[in-house]
Amino acid sequence: MELNRNGIGKSNEDMISVDKLRKEFKKTVKDPGLRGSIKSLFRPKTEKVVAVRDISFAVAEGEILGFIGPNGAGKSTVIKMLTGILTPTSGSCTINGKNPTQNRKSYVKEIGVVFGQRTQLWWDLPLRETYGVLKEIYEVPDDRYRKRMAFLNEVLELDDFIASPVRTLSLGQRMRADIAASLLHSPKVLFLDEPTIGLDVVVKDNIRKAIEHINGQEKTTVILTTHDLADIEQLSKRIVMIDKGSKVFDGTIAELKAKYGQIRELYFESDCKNAEQTLAYDRQFALGKDDLSVETEGKSVKVRFNSSIVPVSDMLSYTLGKINVSDISVKDADIEEIIRRLYGQGAES
Amino acid sequence: MKNIKRALKIHRIFMAQEFKRMMEYKGDFIVGIIGFFLVQLSNLLFLWIIFNQVPTLMGWTVYEVVFIYGLSLIPKGIDHFFFDNLWNIGFFIIRKGDFDKYLTRPVNTLFHVLVEKIQIDALGELIMGIALVCVSIPHIGADWDFFRIAAMICMIPFITLIFTGVKTITASAAFWTKRSGNVIYLFYMFSDFAKYPAAIYNRVVQNIITYIIPFALTSYYPALFILRGENPLFNLGMPVLASAVLMTAGIIVWHRGLRAYESAGS
Repeated sequence: MELNRNGIGKSNEDMISVDKLRKEFKKTVKDPGLRGSIKSLFRPKTEKVVAVRDISFAVAEGEILGFIGPNGAGKSTVIKMLTGILTPTSGSCTINGKNPTQNRKSYVKEIGVVFGQRTQLWWDLPLRETYGVLKEIYEVPDDRYRKRMAFLNEVLELDDFIASPVRTLSLGQRMRADIAASLLHSPKVLFLDEPTIGLDVVVKDNIRKAIEHINGQEKTTVILTTHDLADIEQLSKRIVMIDKGSKVFDGTIAELKAKYGQIRELYFESDCKNAEQTLAYDRQFALGKDDLSVETEGKSVKVRFNSSIVPVSDMLSYTLGKINVSDISVKDADIEEIIRRLYGQGAES
Repeated sequence: MKNIKRALKIHRIFMAQEFKRMMEYKGDFIVGIIGFFLVQLSNLLFLWIIFNQVPTLMGWTVYEVVFIYGLSLIPKGIDHFFFDNLWNIGFFIIRKGDFDKYLTRPVNTLFHVLVEKIQIDALGELIMGIALVCVSIPHIGADWDFFRIAAMICMIPFITLIFTGVKTITASAAFWTKRSGNVIYLFYMFSDFAKYPAAIYNRVVQNIITYIIPFALTSYYPALFILRGENPLFNLGMPVLASAVLMTAGIIVWHRGLRAYESAGS
């Protein structure tokens, strides 16, 4: 145990390795309306939907991996296969040397799972009761339980509401309580599916800090899915992005920026009535549709352009030479902008 | 042995949670119990009216019928009290994807579902069943030796598992169909046939409730031995065999179902 914690002995091995993981669902196709429903009752038509398409990746011990993608990309399906909830159609995943669907009971003792949209707390009872039951379910000895609760209390500040019935907790309190519940048995791997969904900025920040703290102190490997890119930027060095069931990017945030982040944003204000027409960037520079976008709103103009094709200096001198501007600035593309480009047009945000 | 000890401990903890939960909503709890007694009283009234018209039923005296009626309520009440959560599997838990929770805990899923909830309303059935059996016994001229009483008590766990087995199999259908509450209901309703001597039904119904959905094995056949000493091998052996077969089938179907479970989008 101790050896592993310190990384000696298995430091080169990955904590999680996923190999060509695939999940297909059968979907009944119905014609619309009651008639369609009745017809499908007698002659059901099914079609195959591939939710996850042969995804492979690996996570090292102690790493925080951000798992992102638009709604319906298959993030939750992957998490559910990794946690042993769903059985993969093909491919395999190994976590700490174990296969989630074989010998499920011993496997789940080593992982913690939080689904932001669900709760595993006892709804009608004071929060404290939940931890008492989980202690028995996970067979945590008394002295370890006391130490663990003291630690979780400190990190997640449960004291204020530990005596209140769960149904009376606010969403932020409930999420902290759920994260504590998933960590009670000191899991090696923590799966967080949308842990900050629906929370306000301050609570989000507290939860991120808690996750960071636990990861730093216990070397817990964390896989995190989210729609809030600030979660990713603060917590994880590495991201895996999936879209329509396939992996589209795997690397560090720095790599993501280097690869797709050549987009810069030029912002200026001008008295010129029709700055956009006067400047006509698309005729001056060889920039395609994907590499250039111009937004005008009253006096202010926002130009997004690919700086690997047109250097920032060229863009600036051209603009300044053509019209009179006040308040000009150039910004680095933020990660959100990059991801918006990667998700493509069809994705909802 | 260690597993059994752990199972009993978890069962005890879940029970304690349930009692605490009920104490959170005392009004609801009391009204539930009163409601169930009223239902049982109206059933009793119905029975009383019938037997005022007909003194015997296909050779069964009033008190023998009361005994069978009471005996049928005991296993039904025990199953209802301890294992009511299977209804939630059929109606809600799988359809809404809430089954995820059980799969992420280091406890057998079927065991976890079975012991997670208790249904206090079932005490109405249980108490009524015991009362009817106790009231009828002094009026029945059977040979009440030690062996018959012991047989009756020993049969109770087995015939309870006939109920639990049927519910487990039908609830498991939800893993494939997402919702099977009405399937459970359809099969469970056959247990109403067990309240009266199976001899009063026609052959088709008799065969169904003996061999296919064997609820007659939960009261009528054991009563044939307990009251009349008839054919102990069949009348006691069949219920034991049926409970083993149904429960085993339930466990197998359930675990097949786990692999088909599709969760729900979140």
